[in-house]
Amino acid sequence: MTSKRALEVAGMLAAAVALCLAPSYLERGTLNDVWNVALAVVLASAWNLLGGFAGQVSLGYSVFLGIGAYTTVLLALSGVPPAFTLPVGALLAAGASVIIGLPTFRLRGPYFTIATIGVGEAVRVVASGVSFTGGASGLRMPPASFDFESNFRAMTLLAVAVVWIALLVSRSPFGSALAAVKQDIDAAEALGVNSTRLKVSVHALSAALVGLAGGLFAINFQYVSPGSVFDFRLSLTIVLMPIVGGVGTVAGPVLGAILFGWLQLKLLSTPALLNSSLFIYGALLIAVMLFEPKGLLGLVRRLLARRLRRFYVDA
Amino acid sequence: MARSSPSLPFICFAGFAGLALSGPVPLVAASPDDSIIRIGAVLPVTGKESKIGGAFKAATEYAVKEVNDAGGLDVGGKKMKIDLALLDDTSDGARSAQLVEQLMAQQKVHAVIGGYGSQLVQAQSVVPDRYGLPYVSGGAGATSIYGRSKWVFGVLSPVENLASTQMDFLSDLVARGKLKKPLKIALLTENTEHGKDFQKGVKDYAKAHTEFAVVLDESFELYAPDFKPLLGRVAAAKADLFMCDAHLEDFISMQRTYTQMGLYHLMLTYGARGADEAGRKGLGAATDYIFASGWWSDLLPYPQVKAFSAKWKAAAGSAPQWYHATAYEAARSLFAAIHKAGSLKPDAIRSALAGIELKDSILPGGVLKFTKTGQAVLPFVVTQNKPDGKVDIVWPKEARTGEPVAPMPKP
Amino acid sequence: MTDVLHVLIDSLLAAGLYATMAYGLAVIYGVMRIINLAHAGIMMLGAYATFTLFTRFSLDPFLSSVVVVPVFFAGGVLLYQTVVRRLPRSGSTPSMESLLLLFGVWLVLQNLAYVLWSGDTQSILTPYTLKSVSLAGVRVGVPALLVFGMSALSLLVLEFVLHQTYLGKAIRAVTQNRDAALLSGVDADRISAVAFGIGTAFAGLAGTLLSTLYAFTPDFGRTFLLKAFCIIVLGGLESVLGVAAGAFVLALLENGTAVWTTVPTSLQDALSFTLLVLTLVVLPQGLPGLLHLLRAPRRG
Repeated sequence: MTSKRALEVAGMLAAAVALCLAPSYLERGTLNDVWNVALAVVLASAWNLLGGFAGQVSLGYSVFLGIGAYTTVLLALSGVPPAFTLPVGALLAAGASVIIGLPTFRLRGPYFTIATIGVGEAVRVVASGVSFTGGASGLRMPPASFDFESNFRAMTLLAVAVVWIALLVSRSPFGSALAAVKQDIDAAEALGVNSTRLKVSVHALSAALVGLAGGLFAINFQYVSPGSVFDFRLSLTIVLMPIVGGVGTVAGPVLGAILFGWLQLKLLSTPALLNSSLFIYGALLIAVMLFEPKGLLGLVRRLLARRLRRFYVDA
Repeated sequence: MARSSPSLPFICFAGFAGLALSGPVPLVAASPDDSIIRIGAVLPVTGKESKIGGAFKAATEYAVKEVNDAGGLDVGGKKMKIDLALLDDTSDGARSAQLVEQLMAQQKVHAVIGGYGSQLVQAQSVVPDRYGLPYVSGGAGATSIYGRSKWVFGVLSPVENLASTQMDFLSDLVARGKLKKPLKIALLTENTEHGKDFQKGVKDYAKAHTEFAVVLDESFELYAPDFKPLLGRVAAAKADLFMCDAHLEDFISMQRTYTQMGLYHLMLTYGARGADEAGRKGLGAATDYIFASGWWSDLLPYPQVKAFSAKWKAAAGSAPQWYHATAYEAARSLFAAIHKAGSLKPDAIRSALAGIELKDSILPGGVLKFTKTGQAVLPFVVTQNKPDGKVDIVWPKEARTGEPVAPMPKP
Repeated sequence: MTDVLHVLIDSLLAAGLYATMAYGLAVIYGVMRIINLAHAGIMMLGAYATFTLFTRFSLDPFLSSVVVVPVFFAGGVLLYQTVVRRLPRSGSTPSMESLLLLFGVWLVLQNLAYVLWSGDTQSILTPYTLKSVSLAGVRVGVPALLVFGMSALSLLVLEFVLHQTYLGKAIRAVTQNRDAALLSGVDADRISAVAFGIGTAFAGLAGTLLSTLYAFTPDFGRTFLLKAFCIIVLGGLESVLGVAAGAFVLALLENGTAVWTTVPTSLQDALSFTLLVLTLVVLPQGLPGLLHLLRAPRRG
């Protein structure tokens, strides 16, 4: 067991080092792809903390990305350097998650999901109606506030960190309590678990991580508008990736993010698929859900299991 | 919670790192081939902006085809074909920027033709500076986009000017005694950058001219389906003029409700909407006497406009609209600049664009050039619909094809 | 006073349409615990089907529902049989798989519409589209009136089906208490197929009705989907009447705020979503829950 853990730690560190050095040996185009995948990994894995481990399916995560992004833009416009804007954004996102979570966590299952859709849309509508967000026109970051390499390193390291956090949570007593809440909330409460406090804390943790990603999102895109960061489609994509990969596991969301985040962009950036990208994307979703409801991770496991079985049987 | 066996996250990380290590993933243009001009374009072919995004796609493809059918573009004495990589951003800002980045970093295009819609173009316009590649948009009139990067150019004149041209037209009607001052304006604008610029244009003008007063100033969400509550407020405002800025879909829905409610104003506009064929199909006689100003009209009295209209009709089977014209001119200005530059070097193309003077332009004024900020500032025309599907240019005076009817006859 | 009448009439007319589009969502959710994200896509398809019948065969848009409703019912059953029923059974909580599966269906439908009809804005113009009549001093558009008539008729037919036929009773039973109904021998698969068909048919009908009022593109339907969520949360899932009441409350809120307050209309949607969240938190059973609460003390 300890050797496996050591291997994991070594793997994580190796990945972190490889990603940190990537700008010196990779082409810019590839780096962009890696950045996009890293963003997807952060969003998917962070969502999975609440959605997968605690079983609370939220369709309102764009709110946290948006808060992180807007915090960075607004503070940057008044001259605060990103090193300070990012944590503030994370903190505000966590605060918002508590405000959203306290009333909505009283709801169960689908009602919670529908409520999060309502919160997300209300935030979007209000954000495009008030002036400090730039309204529908959005806001541009101050000029010369973008440095690709540092943004790249920050995003990829954040991705590694989020996965690590997910791994730690999944093995901690906190994670077991979340699993209990997911299994049977009444039984967990009867055993003395304060389910609301648990859910609120894991919500805050995952919102803070998404808020951090939001800050880096704003720095990378240099332009933030309510229509892009508070979009319902964004919330949906965030949910989609862990489910495609394998919800409630550590590796599933990563796998889903890598494959789906990357695939979606590639589908759209292939001119030949111009008229069928929505179709392919939709059909893939249908196919995954029908044939591999446990997600790609389920598929990988099955294939591995078959390989092992064959190995032993043949031997 | 399903515990993943410890080796699996590791496998995934190996995959993730592997992706990072795999080096460039060539997808379309494998090796930069310099006998061909690679032009990228990112447009909202699906999603909220799909109506005009689709039209931009058709016009951009047409402009490219025209050049290729003529044997290619003369670049420094060599005829070169144009290869167009046109992508769909699904009307999503972040994705739009990502795709422009893909085109510039991975597909190694020489220049990019920008999108449609100020929010989407705003998002895209950040990217050209990073790669030092020229970028021309035919579909964003918001001034805040331009002047930030030397690589970004735009064919669409500012929306504020659209609004102030309409106000000039109304002011002239007052001067000629057709409308009596003071005039109270009910102003409705869509909650988009386009709408906000229109709103600003009208309000600034009304502040500077005592004959106008804005008595109702409201905005609405794009594709808000039910306009009855909002138009109820318009009715209560008892204004003389009704000025609105809306997408085609909202224009049709709103004008239907307006007509059913029996509202009447001395003059009525939906910003750039009014003369659209689709609008006429959806509204029939209810579009009569609406005035509109646009970036282009097929009534412009230039021979090149007649020629373009005929060409377009033959190719597409329907009359060209303003968005076809501006998309076409955006592509054409870029091609003309490449020709003028005589090379595919980004700097050469950029300086050619900055100094370009497209003398046979089909846009109002007949000459397309960019100002210092990179945005073209051309005159607007005001058209008014007449019964039986007729349209007249009613402003500016020199281009007039018919007298304005003011006030509108009561239904 | 005229204001009040005005708001009431406008809200009532809007509520008819809202109820039709929300019921489709409610019946599927009620029976299968599936949130049908493809609902918006089906409404969009209904609008285009009506549009095609109108332009190709000059069939009146309201009459076209005679074609649209059965075809969409069949389409819904087919969709259920080929795709939806293969989803893993999840008991009483909705599975995320179904949410995403149906989102995939929505994307496929959208792509289909872009290919068939392009992204252009379409609309249906009939001789009565722009006409209006006076109703107790309030001007009301003829299409809005016809839409209300059709909605009311469809809901009445539905009410009859739900109360007088075996299938209808089974649908209600499964919605109210799934486990008990299944224990007493209701064929879940068959009921689900029928419910999915009814839900799809109602979405198609809503599309037809919407097409007589508004212009549309393949992206059409999104805003209505969110309104429909709000309505079923308000109205609960158990009865046609509840859904209708939820629709009326939402419409009243929308029209009332525009007339009696100065809240910018662009924030209207925020109001309805806030209402949605508030209702969920305060009254998880929706309006019927409130009635229940009011009735309970009297009984006791």
